[in-house]
Parts: sequence; C-alpha cells; structure tokens
Amino acid sequence: MKSRTALIAAFAAVTMTVTACNGGTNAAAEGDGTTLTIASVDQGSIEKVVDAFKAANPGVTVNLTTSGADQYQQQIRTQLASGTAPDVMTVWPGNGNPGATYVIAKPGYLLDLSGQPWAARLPDAFQRVAQYEGRTYNAVFGLNGIGAVYNDRALRDSGLTAPGTWTELLAFCRAADGRGTPAFALGIQDNWVTQLVLYALAATVVYGADPGFDAKLQAGRATFANSAWTTAMAKYRQLADAGCFQDNPLGTSYEASQTLAATGKTLGIIQGNWIISLLKRKDPAGTYTMRALPATDDPASFVMPAAAGAGYGVNAKAKNRDLALRFITFVMSPEGMKLFTETQGSLPTLPDAGTAVDPGLAELQTFVREDRTVPFMDQLWPNAKVQQTMLSGLQEVFSDQATPADVLTDMDTDYKAGS
Amino acid sequence: MQGRRHAPPWWFTLPALLLFAFVVLLPSARGLHYAVTDWDGLNPDFTVVGLDNFTAMADDPDAFGAVRHTLVVAVAITVLQNGLGLLLALGVNSAIKSRDVLRVLLFAPAMIAQIVTAYLWRNLLGPDGAVNSALGAIGLGGLRRDWLGDPDLALWMIVLVVVWQYAGYSMVIFLAGLQSVPKEIYEAAAIDGTGPVRRFWSIIRPLLAPALTINLMLSIIGGLKLFDQVYAMTGGGPGHATDTISTLIYKEAFTLGEFGYSIALAVVLTVIVAVASGAQYTVLSRGERAAS
Repeated sequence: MKSRTALIAAFAAVTMTVTACNGGTNAAAEGDGTTLTIASVDQGSIEKVVDAFKAANPGVTVNLTTSGADQYQQQIRTQLASGTAPDVMTVWPGNGNPGATYVIAKPGYLLDLSGQPWAARLPDAFQRVAQYEGRTYNAVFGLNGIGAVYNDRALRDSGLTAPGTWTELLAFCRAADGRGTPAFALGIQDNWVTQLVLYALAATVVYGADPGFDAKLQAGRATFANSAWTTAMAKYRQLADAGCFQDNPLGTSYEASQTLAATGKTLGIIQGNWIISLLKRKDPAGTYTMRALPATDDPASFVMPAAAGAGYGVNAKAKNRDLALRFITFVMSPEGMKLFTETQGSLPTLPDAGTAVDPGLAELQTFVREDRTVPFMDQLWPNAKVQQTMLSGLQEVFSDQATPADVLTDMDTDYKAGS
Repeated sequence: MQGRRHAPPWWFTLPALLLFAFVVLLPSARGLHYAVTDWDGLNPDFTVVGLDNFTAMADDPDAFGAVRHTLVVAVAITVLQNGLGLLLALGVNSAIKSRDVLRVLLFAPAMIAQIVTAYLWRNLLGPDGAVNSALGAIGLGGLRRDWLGDPDLALWMIVLVVVWQYAGYSMVIFLAGLQSVPKEIYEAAAIDGTGPVRRFWSIIRPLLAPALTINLMLSIIGGLKLFDQVYAMTGGGPGHATDTISTLIYKEAFTLGEFGYSIALAVVLTVIVAVASGAQYTVLSRGERAAS
C-alpha cells in the first residue's frame, strides 16, 4: 500500500513538473516594464543603437544578445516554439530563409506593426517584403546592395581602371591576373557567399531584360532552366575562367576573402555594401568604392541587386511589449535610423533619416534613386530550399560535381514544390 | 527472511526511473511522433503524414550521399584511429626515457574541444594555410592542394583530423590494457625466444581484447555521429561532398525548417548506430570469450 502511495506521489510530481514546463512555454509571463530583451545579428552596429536608446530612456535595462546568422536562425526558431524568445528580434524581409518575415509571421509569432507611424511611410518595395498578408511585421531600417567593391589603393597601384562593360570586365580580370593580383576575392567556402556574384549578374541579365520575371516564375510561366538565368550562370563561369578570382575560392572562407581584398592581394571583392565596414576594420586607412558589376556591354542596361536588409520584429508574446514598441519606434526614427545605417554602412529605408552615406556607395545610391535595382532574388522565392539548392549547387559547379543546368533544374523542382 | 527484510524497497529506484523517463524516454517518444509529421519546427499546426518522411529519403540523393559518407567515415576512423592508437601504445609502453612526456603530448589533442581543433585545421588546410606553406618550404610545392575545397579530398581530411585528435585517446585505453599484462608473461616469452610478432599475436592481442572492444565501440559510434568537425571544417561542402547524416539532420531542421524529415533522418541514424554497435559488440564479445 505504501509502495502504491509512493508511486502515485512520484507520478504526480513528474506530472506537475511536465505541466509546469508546458505552462512556461505557452504562457507569456508579464515583464517588469523596464527590461527589454533583444536578439540580433547586427553585430557591431546595434550596440550603438542600444546605447542611444538607453540614454533616451533612463532606467531601462536592455539584455542584448548577438550572433551569426546561421546560429541565430537555429536559436530563434527554437525560442519561438518554446515560448522563450526575446521581446525584439532580427527578422529578414520576405521569404526564403528560416528567419524571414513570412515564415515567422505566418504561425503568429510576430506582433502586427501596421499601426506604427513609420509603417505606412515605407516605400512600396520595402512594404512588400516587410508585410505578410497585407500587415506589416518588420521594421526594415536599412537597404543593402550587391556589386563590385574595389580597393581604391590596390586599383590605383595596379594601373588599371574599374571596368565599365562586360568586355572590359573580362579584359580587366585577365590583366589583373597577369600582374599577379587577381581582380576579386571570392570566399565560397562559406556557401552563402556563392550567390552574390550570380545575383549581381542576374540583376542585369535576367531582371534588366525582363523586370516581370518573378511574376512569370510565380505564375508557372517561366523556369530558371529555360530563362536568362542560364546566361547569368554561364557568365559566372566565364568570370572564373578569365581569372577574375584568386586560386582555390572553394577553400577560401568569407573571412579570408575580406583579408585578401583589404590587404590588396586582390583588387576588390564582389559583395554587399556591408563589406566596406568590415574591410575598414582590417585596414582603417583603406577606401573602397562600390560599382555595378558589368554584365553586358551596355552600361545603360545595368541593374544592381538592392533590397531591404534584415530588420526587427516584435515577439507577439513579448514580456515587455510597450518597451519593445518604443525600441522599434526609436530604430525607425531619424535619429535611430541614421545611427544604425551609418554604423552598418547601409542606406536608410526612410528618406528623412539624414544618414551620411559612405562616399564609396555613391553609385549604389544613384541606382536606388533611378529605380535601377531589383530585390535580392531569394526574398520572394516560396521556400528556403530553392536558395539552399542554389548555394550548394554553385559549390558543386565550382568543384565540377554538377553543371549549371543541373543546378537550375533542381532549383525549378524546389520552387515548384514550395509554391 | 533476514535478507528480505534488508532488501531496499523496489520503489527506491522510482525517482531515477521517472527522471530517466522524463528526460530520455518521453522526448524520444515525442521525437518518434514528430518523425511521422510535416512539422516545420515553428508552426504549432502540423499534420501526421505517416511514413512519407521515410519514403521521401528513398528519392533524396542528399540522404543517400550522407549515409554513404557516414559509413565511409565511420569505418575509416575506426580502422585508422585504432591502428595508430595501438602503435602509439606499443611505442610509449616501451622503456624509452621520454615516454611520460610522449604520453601526455599524444593524449593532449583529445582534451581540446572538437570545434576548436576543427577551426584550427580549417585554417591550417586553407589554400594559404600552414600545410601548403610547409609543403612549399620543403620543396614539395607540387603537392599543394585546396585540401578542403576539393570534393575528392575534403572528406579524407576530416577523417585525418579526427584520427589526429583521438588516436591518443585510443592509445590511452590500449596502454591501460598493455600495462595489465603481467611482466612475468613477457619474461617467460623472452626466455622461450618468442619474436616480437609472435609475442604480439599470441600474448598481447588476446589480453588486449577488452581494450579493443571498448575502443572499436567508441570509435564506430563517434564516427557514425560525426558532426562538429564536418560542420566547422567544410559545412558539409563543397556542395554535399562531406555531408554526414548528422550534418544533414542539422541542415534539414535549422536551415530548411523540415523538422519532421530531419527527425526521421535522426531515427534512421539511431537505427544504424544501434545495429552497427550491436553487431560489433556481439562479434567482439565472442572474440573476447574465445581469447580468454
């Protein structure tokens, strides 16, 4: 009898423990009104914004954690599913990665920010990727572009000038290679880097010629394999064959590629504008200029990939919702946006921020102003798999395990499966 | 009657059993449940899809590749790590003066976190890393390679790094076995004029059988579950050239949000580990009994 009582007591204890844990995951505990928790991937730039926010809100404590994108995406999904996510979190625009707006807003994990004063002022291109089913969930504060970033000093020392057409680009690569200093650093050991050159080429080759390509893709009237994406892929290979990149790009990490470009071992790097602040950390005296990557011989046809960068969303179960909204309002205010974008090296998404843009980004600014940009291609793809197939596929192309046609066909399969 | 009065009540084991059930059995059972769903790890609404996740593996070339790489890596690590570990143990079991220092140095890599050694070797094996520089410096520049960027080499580089790190670990276990062999047996063998090969095969090998069982079990299980070194050194690339089942599980879950499929892969890995280690244990324990 005693044994049975003990058994029941032990079972009850475990049941209560399990129940308590479940309660913890589902219920949003009330916060203290003064402590804000933030998880971010903006390492090196959000810290200044948080300091300014704290200065403007005396008595507020901010618990900030930052991490790399891969680690962050793993962590935030687990935290959201278990009810332990922070009040404010990095959210990527559109779809196509595990931490993107559509992915997190769809199951109801993000607070609707449509009523915030800045939401209606976001330009259409940003609203499209900051919204899910017509409601705004992402405070997108910065815009990023992709292009050829030249190390001004290395370029000057080489006696070469930045190419203005596709033919000039190939000649530039051959000349640079002949001088023993390859044109561009390429660090595709980290597979996310593989997409950047392709996006820079596809912007002009695919979207410059057919701005409605995405709509056709979504409607099933176009495919990657039977489109100008094949041309973009072929041009990527041509760049490699012309000696545009250093030896062994597959063994070169993103970090190592930065060192090559910053120290003048290459004349530049094809990357996003965020690279400029990273290059300056390695060589504070260096200056860098971003230009559109030529993809045809008609400069008037050039289009640059430029799109909303990662922004911030508010946890639908935020413990300190008011404080979280106050932080988001600060990020999207002229003061917060200016601070964020200047530190990060991006362009502001709202026109009145007054950001002092790095002079090296003048051409990107011009392209944005003239509406000669296209969003990063993956942002409107139906699932994360299309992009992942492309990333690993490009590594396979560079290591002769697959052909560009194989990769594009696989991307079509994944696109159809997810649409 | 006396013994019965002093036997502890059976329910004394209950706290441990319930804890085990709570932290091991319950999550495992829930895992099995998720393996037959289309859960994305985030959306609370998901549906049971039966065995779809398992049948999908049959059409997934990435899964096939990962299983193949996992088996190759596990076998290669088991053979090389234990072969080298045994040689090292025999070496440092001899009467050489520096044996204590050598034992510490050879065991040291096993004490370093896997992720640290993986990043260290990622840098050493880079195109401009120390390995290629050293080859150039000694006039072997022709052997310089993109060690981790070449799909034919990358997996073997990972195997070598694991063997480098854990051969010392195997050595220590073999060394413990060797030191349990009574000196008198060696002396008797010496008096009988037994050569080193015969001495190893007839005396040392049977007495090392328990150490061999432990080492082989540990290395095959470690090899089958290999993750850290692969993820840190190559991320499974180039392409999928070095993906193991563990890295594929990670990617499917956290990069692609395919938790149901990922957990189904984990179930398959569990079955492979259970079958491989069970079969190995059966064979080895039979060998131990025969040797004793």
